[in-house]
Amino acid sequence: MSASDKHTTHFGYQEVPVEEKASRVAHVFDSVAARYDLMNDLMSMGIHRLWKRLAIERSGVRPGHSVLDIAGGTGDLTGKFSRMVGPRGRVVLADINESMLRVGRDKLLDSGIGGNVEYVQANAECLPFPDNSFDCITIAFGLRNVTDKDAALRSMARVLKPGGRLLVLEFSTPGNPLFSKAYDEYSFRLLPKIGELVAGDADSYRYLAESIRMHPDQETLKAMMEAAGLERVEYTNLTGGIVALHRGIKL
Amino acid sequence: MELSSTLLLAGLERTLNALLARDPAAPSRLARLAGQRILLRLEQPALALAIHFHPAGLDLLRTDDTAEEGFDAVVEVDAETLGELLGGASVERLMFQGKLAVRGRTHLLEATRDLLLDLDLDWEAELARWLGDIPAHSLAEGLRSLSRWGLRTRQEFCADVSEYVFEEARLLPGRHQLETLRDQMTEMEIATDRLEARLARLRRRLSEPGMPP
Repeated sequence: MSASDKHTTHFGYQEVPVEEKASRVAHVFDSVAARYDLMNDLMSMGIHRLWKRLAIERSGVRPGHSVLDIAGGTGDLTGKFSRMVGPRGRVVLADINESMLRVGRDKLLDSGIGGNVEYVQANAECLPFPDNSFDCITIAFGLRNVTDKDAALRSMARVLKPGGRLLVLEFSTPGNPLFSKAYDEYSFRLLPKIGELVAGDADSYRYLAESIRMHPDQETLKAMMEAAGLERVEYTNLTGGIVALHRGIKL
Repeated sequence: MELSSTLLLAGLERTLNALLARDPAAPSRLARLAGQRILLRLEQPALALAIHFHPAGLDLLRTDDTAEEGFDAVVEVDAETLGELLGGASVERLMFQGKLAVRGRTHLLEATRDLLLDLDLDWEAELARWLGDIPAHSLAEGLRSLSRWGLRTRQEFCADVSEYVFEEARLLPGRHQLETLRDQMTEMEIATDRLEARLARLRRRLSEPGMPP
């Protein structure tokens, strides 16, 4: 990496100054927060629920565990984890974006989930928790929006207890070239249109599609997790590799 | 493959929770079970299923967690025995036959079976929510009288058919006739056996040397 590269990072297909990415991402999510769940259902045709379910199955969370749900957004995973850890456990829903956190908190409270859930507005790169404090950390569809992904993975590995699991559910690279072509057509033509119709914001959804293409592929992310100090890293491709679920264990 | 089984489980979980939500007796049963976890190991097909109970229903999750200490009960069963269990066979009998292995709190298994099998859906209330009280009640009454009519018709039809076959057309013998026939046949069988034995004795005596012809 050359000296000039250090000061810019990608925001979708654009190069932006490093210090600007967080605020731009924040702007995108401020704009989509209210209709985030509806859009997720529309864009993924409901399959995102299955992807998240699989992440929960792989988490191995039991009663009494502490779970950190980073970029938990509207609390899909947190709600289920809260039931699984029971009254003796705790779930922390962390998100960098205030609007998303507020939508998530309201949704969880409305569905009667509370007591063992805490809400923290935090940046994944520098998590405000002591070392070795969580049995499981999940980050679902959040890592690609983080400015410095290596720092975020290191920070997650730090707060994970020895033996704890990190699960990264994120868009990835489809293996089949034909499928990949169809997927490109869908996400660059249809997706911004749906975004415009439903959420009134095509740009934000164009950013989502672009940021997915700029995200590291399965093997690169696996290597990044290993570099951050996680072991036994493995990944599962879901829906032809549109999404990959990576799991690493801190030993 | 990963997702299709997840989809099936998600569908099953949703269906069960929707049914439990309609059962007036389920909340108190669920409250007793809430927070408990059962690990169900199916042998064929190989599948480990974690059942978590919570006050609003249950979560079904596939698990690759082989540690058993996190569960309140571990049930090992094959598909056939699971069918028998759901069909109402007694847990103790299956355990003594060695078809079912339960470790931990065994009563959880019975409680789970009661929860799922004794579902008593208040479907008329559910109809009333959609259609309003009076139409739902008339519809429910209609369905009930239809089912009563169906049951009565079936019974009458069976009685009519048997009467025709046994009494009118005499195509088949009745039970009493059959029994009399069987008794007479048995008597005849015994008589022929005796006759055979007597003939054999006669033949033996004739062929014995020293006996006068």
